[in-house]
Order: sequence, then C-alpha cells, then structure tokens
Amino acid sequence: MQANYLTIALSKGTLLKPTIGLLEQVGLPAEGLTPESRQMVFSYEQPCIKYIMCRPTDVPTYVEQGAADLGIVGKDVIVEQRKDIFELVDLRYGYCRFVVAGPAHLQNIALKELNYKRIATKFPVTAEQFFRSHGLQVEIITLHGNIELAPIMGLSDVIVDIVSTGRTLKENNLVEIIKIMDSTTRLICNQVSYRTKYDSIQPLVEKIQKHVKGGSKA
Amino acid sequence: MMKNREIPKGLRDLLPDEVKIKRNIESQAAGLFMRYGYEEVITPAFEYLEVIEAGAGSNIRQELFMFMDREGGILSLRPEMTVSIARLAATHLQDEPLPLRLYYMGNVFRHVQPQKAQYREFWQAGIELLGAQGPIADAEVITIAARTLAAIGLLDFKISLNHIGIFNSILNDSNMNPQDQTRVRQLVERKDLVALSQVLDSLPVNERLKETIASLPVLHGGLEIIDKIPYLEESPKASEAVSELLKIYEALNTFGVIEHIVLDMGVLRGLDYYTGIVFEGYSPDLGYGLLGGGRYDNLLGQFGFPCPATGFALGLERTALVLKDTVDGPTRYLVGGTRLEAMVEKCDELRTAGFIVELDTKMSGRDELQKLCARKANTTLIYID
Repeated sequence: MQANYLTIALSKGTLLKPTIGLLEQVGLPAEGLTPESRQMVFSYEQPCIKYIMCRPTDVPTYVEQGAADLGIVGKDVIVEQRKDIFELVDLRYGYCRFVVAGPAHLQNIALKELNYKRIATKFPVTAEQFFRSHGLQVEIITLHGNIELAPIMGLSDVIVDIVSTGRTLKENNLVEIIKIMDSTTRLICNQVSYRTKYDSIQPLVEKIQKHVKGGSKA
Repeated sequence: MMKNREIPKGLRDLLPDEVKIKRNIESQAAGLFMRYGYEEVITPAFEYLEVIEAGAGSNIRQELFMFMDREGGILSLRPEMTVSIARLAATHLQDEPLPLRLYYMGNVFRHVQPQKAQYREFWQAGIELLGAQGPIADAEVITIAARTLAAIGLLDFKISLNHIGIFNSILNDSNMNPQDQTRVRQLVERKDLVALSQVLDSLPVNERLKETIASLPVLHGGLEIIDKIPYLEESPKASEAVSELLKIYEALNTFGVIEHIVLDMGVLRGLDYYTGIVFEGYSPDLGYGLLGGGRYDNLLGQFGFPCPATGFALGLERTALVLKDTVDGPTRYLVGGTRLEAMVEKCDELRTAGFIVELDTKMSGRDELQKLCARKANTTLIYID
C-alpha cells in the first residue's frame, strides 16, 4: 500500500475487458489499459490510482496482505481462496456457476448417492465444503486443468467445476448434476485500507454501486 | 530427509535483531502500562478447555491447539490472554480493592493458516481494567492503546471505535432467529456486503431495519455518522448505546487522543464476550489490525466474580512489521590480545562503565580480530599486547 495512491488489483483474462469497461464508466482512468498489454503496473496521477495486473487466483492474496487496497475478482475465486477480505460490491458481470457434473447416466443421481465418490476438481476447498455441509464424505482429487478428462479416464466419478455456458461439459459428454452456487465478479477491499483510506474508497464504492444498480451490465 | 531441523508450521525462531525490536516494543509498552498504575501478572501457557470455552465461547474451538493431560482432562494452549486474566482475577483477586489494573505480556497460540503477519504462536501485550464501569474507564484503556502505539514510534495510526450495543439491539429488534442473527453478524463483521444484502432480502424483516443493518458496515467517520443510522430513534437500547459511545468519544477528547479516533459501525470484534465499546487499531503501513479490545462486563461472572471490565491487546509481531527501523545497538567492544590479566581488567573496566564487552577467548592475533570486528555491527576492537 502506498500512502496516497489507491492500488487496485485487476484480474487478467476474461474479466479484464468488462472490468476496463466498468472503470471507464465510473470515471476512473483507463488510458492505455487493454487486455493485450503486457505491462503489469499502470499508474495515473489524476486521480492517484494504480492498477496491478494479476492472475485472478492471486487477486485475493494481494488484497488480503495489503499489497493492493482494492481488487476485482470472481466470487468463485473468493470462495476457494478464503482470504480475510471485505467484499463490497457485486459487479454482476462474469457470471458462472459451480456445479457437480458427471457422465450422462448420472444425470438424475441424488446428492446423497455421491457419498464416498471420487471428485476431481480445481476447487478442492469449495468442493469439500459443499459435500461436508451436506454431511457427505468424498475423496477430493485436485487437478490443475482439463477436469473433464478425469471421469472419462476413470480417475474420478464426477467433477466439481465452474461452468458459464455449459459448452465444454457438452463437448465432453458430461451433464450438470447439481448446482453448488452462482458466481459473479466482486469488488473486494483490504480491511485496513477500508478504514485508513475510507475517504477515497467509500465514494468510489458508492459510485460503482450506483452504476451497477443502474442496471447497465458492463 | 531428516526432520530434525524442521519446526512446526506457523512457528518461528527469533534472531537477535528481531528480539531487540520485540524487547524494545515490550519495554515501551510495559513502561507505559506501569505509569498508568497497571501491574503485571503471568498466567499458564495452557488452560483447561472448559475455561477457554466458558470465556471465549465455543466458536473459538476450531482455532485451538488442544491436547490431553494424563488424567484425561482436555487442555488447550491459550488463544488469547483476557480469559485467563479473568479466571486469575476471579480466583485470587476477589477481595482486592477495585478497580484492579493488570497488564500482561505473553505468547498465545492459534491454529490459523500461517502467512505474513499471521503466525500460530504470536505475542501479545495488553491491559485489563477490572471493576470499573463507565465511559472514563473505557476512555482510559483506549487512551493507553493510542499512547502505546505512539510510544513505540508509530506516527500515523487510527483507532476505530464502535459500541456493540448498537448492532446487538438493532439485531434483537429484528426478531431474526439465532442462526440468522449469527449469520448476519458474521457478514457485517467481514463486510461481505454482497451476501449481507442477499441474506437480508431473503428474511422477513421490516424494511427500515434491513436498511439500517445494511448501512452499519459502511458507516465510518466522525460524529456526523451517528445521524446516518436510520432506525436509531425507534430503539431505546440502541440510542442508549450511542449515548455511551458519545460520552467515551468526549472523554477521549479530554484525554488528548481524539486525533487518532474514528467511529466505525462495522467493528464488531470476533470474540463473543464483548458487551459494550469495541475498538481496533490500524496503521496504513500494514494490511492487518495491530490491536483490539473492548468492554466485557459478563466475562468475569463466568468465573464467579461478576464485575465490569475493559481492556485491549496489542499484537507484537504485527507492530514490529510496521516499525521499519531496526534498533541500533549501543557501541560494543571486542577485547583481545596476548596478556590475559590486562585484557580481563580492561573488560571489567568497560563493563562497569556500562558498555557491552566481549572477550576473545581464543587469544587470536590482531589481524584475525580486525577481520572479525568488520563483520559485526557497531563493534570496536581493543587489542592489548
């Protein structure tokens, strides 16, 4: 954290474009900020704003530790990371949902029948928490990509993954069995920054809130 | 791989330079506490689980390091100091004239995910003012908290103040069931405004109350924020809490620390035992809180000594992270040479004068000692041949 700068951690990848749109619409500087740029830090003097480009999964870490005051990141990442951060605004774009998915013949399986099954996922915390909260024990297999491959190759019975359109599932002959939760993009804040930089953060939060409530989905 | 050099996750060794900073913070804090009339007590590093849970509530269990004694009792390393101090006072100090002013320095243990500024063993320095009711007592404790941060060398810090009675009575008026109340409390505390508004929308609660609850977490500033609590005039209990908060605010002005104070309706503190004022201290240089405290009028009653109380604890590691300057040690001497008798005499003479003196026990040559000196901080060689 820098005394008079407001540092905002932005998620690279699919969220970046709508995020830049949001920044522009609420009147924050965004000159030169493009998804193609390889620059990692963008500083502006009027107002004193600094953006840092992060992998989405790193955004909560930067914010929790105070390396950034604010962050823009998906709820899916926030629930998986369980960091101590304030979640201030639902920005409503970047919709996706956590689901349990599996081969077509499991389409109508009841949740409790997944007890003791093997679950492949990139989101072990969310997956474990979901099954535990229903009193079920499952074996979590953590993978880092191409989760759809796991049930096809017999590595797991089902998967827990995020889905936005459902196309990837369909292409791999998997079906959505249970929805765990919906996710959209959120504005998050460091708990100390919120208090020590309240005078610059709160007006910004209110501006963004008003913009989001105005119904225009960025 | 040999495990004999590993230490358990989340623990740390402190090396001389780090210990210097820590001891410096401790001595500044202890000196200040003593000048306000507080006396030090020491409690055991572990307690019966029943004691900890009776004081801090059962929610704390997931953060405890627990083990058993040989008689089958369940023990827990202390996760904080206030409960132990309350137990100590109830056991030993019931007949002492009130108020009691106690302070402590101790290590506490929590099973948390280790990271910067968050360790599984960490040190706290704090005070407890027992048997004193009213805004002046709270203001004294908050003043000492502010003065401690200043004495340690922090210039730019803020103490956020709230009265837990405001939130509690508004929540009570809502007729939510206890589970929903707990949920709403956690969301306000974590400032999860998105989930808070979703939960509130789903509950059959009067709209004005919803609006009030949703607005509390973002109310932060000076006295003007009090007027922004929509529901206030309809709740006598909340109004009472606000007037107590205002009296403390006024007293803090008299005590001369008001420049560091802000009101923040979102500060609730995680522990179950708080009953009145609650506060947290922050530095803009660290993303985590430095100190926290508040009034806990029912805690001592849990141990058979009904008695109002208020206090705070300061995290020493976090404070050390904010202090960038290392403590410069005083000049040190290294005494070497060929004539032991003269060397010993020189050492004693310098030590009597208050210097730190190391004797070269190997009787090394001058060149070797000069090289050694160059690698040590602040050290001057005295070679006697």
